[in-house]
Amino acid sequence: MNREVILKLLKSPAQWIEERTGVVAFSAPLLFHHVPRSAKWWYVFGSATLMFFTIQIVTGICLGTMYAPSASNAWESLRFIDEEIPFGWMLRALHGWSSSAMVVMMAIHMLQVFMHGSFKFPRELNWITGVFLLLTVLALAFTGQVMRWDQDAYWGLGIGAAIVDRVPVFGDQMRALMLGGPIIGGETLNRFFALHVFILPGAAIALVGLHMTLIIKNGISEMPKPGEIVVPSTYREGFEERMKKTGVPFFPDAVQRDMVFCGVCLLLLVFLAAYYGPFGPGGMPDPTLINTNPRPDYPFMWIFGAVSLLPPASETAIMLVAPVVGIVILVAVPFLANSGERAPSRRPGMMLLAVVVVMAIVALTWEGVTSPWSPVMDGWSALPTPTQFVKGRTPLQMQGAVVFQFAQCRNCHELGGFGGKRGPALDEVATRMSPDQLIRQVQQGGGNMPAFGKNLNSAQMTAIVDFLSTLHPENEADSAIPGAQLPLPIKSPLTMNTVSSGAETPAGIHSR
Amino acid sequence: MMSPQTYRLLACVLVFSAIVFAFVGCDRLHGKPTEAAPTVIGSPSWTQSTFNTSCLGCHSKGAEGAAIPLMNAGYWKVATDAHVIQVLSHGQGVSMPNYLDSDGGPLTSDEIAALVKGMRSMWGAGSLGGQGAQGGHAGQGDISATVVAGDAASGAKVFATACASCHGTGGSAGSVTDPMYLRLISDQGLWSAVVYGRTELGSPAWNQPMPNHPTGLTTTEVADVVSWIAQARPVSKAQGQAKVQTKSQPKNQNASDTK
Repeated sequence: MNREVILKLLKSPAQWIEERTGVVAFSAPLLFHHVPRSAKWWYVFGSATLMFFTIQIVTGICLGTMYAPSASNAWESLRFIDEEIPFGWMLRALHGWSSSAMVVMMAIHMLQVFMHGSFKFPRELNWITGVFLLLTVLALAFTGQVMRWDQDAYWGLGIGAAIVDRVPVFGDQMRALMLGGPIIGGETLNRFFALHVFILPGAAIALVGLHMTLIIKNGISEMPKPGEIVVPSTYREGFEERMKKTGVPFFPDAVQRDMVFCGVCLLLLVFLAAYYGPFGPGGMPDPTLINTNPRPDYPFMWIFGAVSLLPPASETAIMLVAPVVGIVILVAVPFLANSGERAPSRRPGMMLLAVVVVMAIVALTWEGVTSPWSPVMDGWSALPTPTQFVKGRTPLQMQGAVVFQFAQCRNCHELGGFGGKRGPALDEVATRMSPDQLIRQVQQGGGNMPAFGKNLNSAQMTAIVDFLSTLHPENEADSAIPGAQLPLPIKSPLTMNTVSSGAETPAGIHSR
Repeated sequence: MMSPQTYRLLACVLVFSAIVFAFVGCDRLHGKPTEAAPTVIGSPSWTQSTFNTSCLGCHSKGAEGAAIPLMNAGYWKVATDAHVIQVLSHGQGVSMPNYLDSDGGPLTSDEIAALVKGMRSMWGAGSLGGQGAQGGHAGQGDISATVVAGDAASGAKVFATACASCHGTGGSAGSVTDPMYLRLISDQGLWSAVVYGRTELGSPAWNQPMPNHPTGLTTTEVADVVSWIAQARPVSKAQGQAKVQTKSQPKNQNASDTK
């Protein structure tokens, strides 16, 4: 057989298929369509997002073969994948980290499109399909967190259900629809499994297809230049002409950069997965454990932060209205400005807006991670009182220090740099409050502090206030106002007065 | 000069070995979840973590912490297992909670016994410090960890000679007969305070030299002075104990009512 015969034999099945499907004719423009010569490293983020999405599909299908979507077995099946299946943990780690990476890459891609004004005519629908892709991916991330079926999943669902429950009139029905019943149970997991594995990936694949089709149809936007104004009536002609003259084929010219960037992203992903391992599962979901510190996954941390910081009165309004308004604004972006300048330097207001939004999300994420509003649940039982706060104290004050631990003050208050941040640090509280004020504050609470009047008897109250009165810097007096009425004696006449005899002994109320 | 084929072969070998080497040691990657070791009750790690989450907040070591330090050899020299188990199970005074599950606490009696055993083995033989160190002075003998009844009238004299210079009127260390203080501390608590002191904070143990009383106390003197101090408690004992037990757990009646 000579060379031509072999080539012919090889070609004929391909031709046979091509004649019947047109697959080459269809995919050739995907590969060889012209892209602007100016499309350089700014244009790699979309491709990287697509790569992460592909990884999600592949690893997700693999995990789907091993995961048991039932409330009683889900958690156990994750342990099984982690510990029994060779590299099962790696699969979970890749799936988890790739999900976060996809959200991040998507946000960067979106930011780049926004800053370059690429959403303007004729690419409005590119942007809108992108917005819906973002929502789908976030929904995938949330439902994916539920798949772990651990404490984070349980409390995350609880918070989600509580938000849905606030919807006026239909709250009950919507919550029942979300949870598959009045409470979080097996039905809830099955519902979220169906969403995570069938509905949302299906929607995402359809949206990606649409997004890609629009990219082929409308072409990739050029790098914005100040003065190159988008005029809808003439844009398309000009763009196509420029592509013919100066454009380069996507393959192999532009794709090189995409592949390099995707390769770096892939290496980074494998490193993250290999070094940090899979997400969770945390503890078994147990509604009776109250001293857990449930956290949403990173893509939702900023929402966790924002929701936690809302003033109570505004919660319902903001939680229900803000997402709708946010989505409407995102969708409306290309309609609000679909022509004109694209260059960042000519759109300073938009740039400022983007910077503010990014900074707000970063700051709220940080707040969510540190969550200074959460009590430190083991503050009272695991953090010993530092030496400087017990040194030189009287027996009563020492008992006050014990009561201080016993009443769990340090879950919310710092002492010596350790403890909760919900309330003010108490290291120098005696410089701010007189003993009378301290008694009132502990007794009645106020300013977000619960009242302890019913939980402490008079002896405990006396001891703790006596202890708190010693909390001021050495050689600095407490907060008594000169000339003001002296505090009522809180010790009985039986008491031998404490007399200050040097810096060690607190110059408290009893020495006056 | 190598031919292109040789280059290609070399490249293939390199890539192949890179792939092979990439998987070497994959089983020991940092991110691989380690199988959770089953918790062995009584193991050092269990003891340490139980102590850290339940006791450390008040009972630390050295000068730290508001209550008697437990990471401390001196304490374990005096305290018997039975006594520590008793206090741990049923609580003491106002602020020491009860840990026994039948009292509403988090630990079973087996766990409490294991915890006490574990703490003793970790700190009992250590050289962490001398809280209530035995044998400060020869001939003083061993002291009981639990409260022993004494004679209050003699106790008054002991207080005047041994304690009053710091804990009496005008004393720098603060009153121990303050009724508010006495309402918060049980007789056993007073006993322990006298026996162990807080040496790192400058309060000597029972048998150590005291500022105005270089010989320390005898076991009888400890019993007497604790009886005398306890007498100053303002309300009747039963009433006072009932009032201050805000945690509503049954208290260690033996310890707090012995006189």
